[in-house]
Amino acid sequence: MDFEWTEEESAFRERIRDFLGQNLPDDWERFAEHGPGSPVLTEFARQFCGRLADHNLLTPHWPVEIGGLGLDPWHQTILAEEMWAAGEPRGGQYMNVNWIGPTLMKYGSEEHKARYLPGITSGQDLWCQGFSEPGAGSDLASLRTRAEAVGDVYRINGQKVWTSYAGLAKTCFLLCRTGEDRKRGISILLVPMDTPGITVREIPSIIGRGDIHEVFFDDVVVSLSARLGEEGQAWEIIAYSLANERLGIPRYALARAALERAVAILGERGNFADPAVRIAAATVASLCEAARWTNYALIDRRAKGETVGAEASSARFATIKAERRVSEFIAEHLPEALADAHPFLKMHHQRGIVAGIAAGAAEVQLNIVASDVLQLPREPR
Amino acid sequence: MNPSLNQDQRAILDALDAMLRPWENAPVHDAPLFASDPALEKALAEAGFLEVAGDPDLGTVTAALLIERLARLPFAVEAAASVLVGPLLDDRGAGPLCLVDARRWRRPVRFLCEGARVVVLEDKRVSAFTASADQFRAEPNALFAYPVATLHGLPEVRKPLALNSTELRVRWQVGLAAECAGLLAGALASTVAHVSDRQQFGRPIATFQAIRHRLAEAQVRINGAYWLAMRAAADCDPGQAALAALYAAETARTCSYDFHQFLGAMGMTLEHPLHLWTYRLKLLTGELGGVAGHARSAADALWGPAPD
Repeated sequence: MDFEWTEEESAFRERIRDFLGQNLPDDWERFAEHGPGSPVLTEFARQFCGRLADHNLLTPHWPVEIGGLGLDPWHQTILAEEMWAAGEPRGGQYMNVNWIGPTLMKYGSEEHKARYLPGITSGQDLWCQGFSEPGAGSDLASLRTRAEAVGDVYRINGQKVWTSYAGLAKTCFLLCRTGEDRKRGISILLVPMDTPGITVREIPSIIGRGDIHEVFFDDVVVSLSARLGEEGQAWEIIAYSLANERLGIPRYALARAALERAVAILGERGNFADPAVRIAAATVASLCEAARWTNYALIDRRAKGETVGAEASSARFATIKAERRVSEFIAEHLPEALADAHPFLKMHHQRGIVAGIAAGAAEVQLNIVASDVLQLPREPR
Repeated sequence: MNPSLNQDQRAILDALDAMLRPWENAPVHDAPLFASDPALEKALAEAGFLEVAGDPDLGTVTAALLIERLARLPFAVEAAASVLVGPLLDDRGAGPLCLVDARRWRRPVRFLCEGARVVVLEDKRVSAFTASADQFRAEPNALFAYPVATLHGLPEVRKPLALNSTELRVRWQVGLAAECAGLLAGALASTVAHVSDRQQFGRPIATFQAIRHRLAEAQVRINGAYWLAMRAAADCDPGQAALAALYAAETARTCSYDFHQFLGAMGMTLEHPLHLWTYRLKLLTGELGGVAGHARSAADALWGPAPD
């Protein structure tokens, strides 16, 4: 067991820090209050990701032939940690490099790869994921948005909701029903968001302006070639995607950075001598580090070529706990952060509130851990 | 970064697993408050397992792995102090090694017996003495699943050691974290087996979400405790060691009652061996000031001591 970064890994981290130092605006922390899906930040992210791409730092973990450097999952983790600890200046584009791109590489047609991957590797395109519906949140398989094959096209009708980035996204990674079977009746369509019949409405959110939406599909027509994988293969594909997503977001790094900032502020004003506050801060730090190391244990397995399944849900739950306790610590001891006194901490709160909800609720993660890690007999259905 | 077991560690754990087979199952004929077996201690010593930390090629992570693995057994065996602190002493002696916190010497001491070498953590120094029968009271009725005894007091005459207080505290915390991680893993496995078998309302009680979620949360925490302990063992850094001990103690606190709860009435009897793990945790959890004590040392190490 070796728990030290190699010199090369440390140098890679330094390179990213230097890049952030040179490419984030001086007022970044205030600027980031616009929220990851806002028009201002989306435009900033487009420029920022373009510069990352110019420096080979947008998709360095992708294969060389698809615009990457073929670096291992540790480099991907270092990159993601530094981005998240800075408040994720890539905005919604983090999804592209984490899981949309890798999913397209694995399941996409040549046409899909040629059409979509260059926009991701150059840092120009924004995607949204059309998963949740009014009646299908945690129970995703009950979704009802329907795509009916008519000749050589699909006609899509239905509604998605709580969709991040939909307002400015170029393409939607859309789950829809093509058959009656609960899970095997679901397919994935890659739908350009400017297709006639799509209506997007913003839902005001705690995360910030422009982040969460409802999306309506009224007789939206796309070609059959917009389908990713086979009809009915969606469940298998998103299991792959979500395992990437669950390990791909090192929220513990942002949580720990926010905790350090909070401790520094409390120290400067003489409020960090109180043993009760110190004990609370250390307890929260232990949760951040537990999340970090449980994630690392799985990244190590991925780096060695193993497939990581249900354990990703365990690591994600550890991250959710850490994120939550840091937010609670700040709300309890530095409530003025939520009233704008400390933009970085407010940003952490806004980014962090989704941790246990988006990409599969915390309770769904626990169900997966119970059945597939602990191997408990399953609940009756 | 390469946190998987290396070849040596894999080989040692494989050899250890093979050796431990006779002690994998809890004693069934009687229902003891604690289980110990001199044959296990002898086998461990003879095979040289307790000397891994002193071997520069194996070091403290291998020691922590060994402590964690041994703690999964239903049998209590003194390993943590011997493996992690033993190599730092020039007169280790032949008996068990006991660690005592001078501020809290009234606490029951694990494995304390005549001839035990007792290392005392003081604020500014570390000292040691060899226990004689008139210095302690055995506690055969203690509920803890270790053999324990209580000191009458700290003897006046103690030998100062070259070891400094921080060094001892850190190794104590690392050993405690690794031992808690193993005990928790043993307790979790034992509880999971029970709730998967036990039928109520016509189905295994493990199929009820009220139980599934709490056990799943326990898995998440126990996995974290394991990794924090190993991480801390790697460089024996005071901040990491305190965080690992803090997290382990907090995990033990949150899980132990749940595990007994899930056993129903058997959780309050000695029919099921669960207490052999949880009632070791109950003693470990309070060492060095417990959760708050570890948290304070973590805060001091991470952010500097509190201003007066």
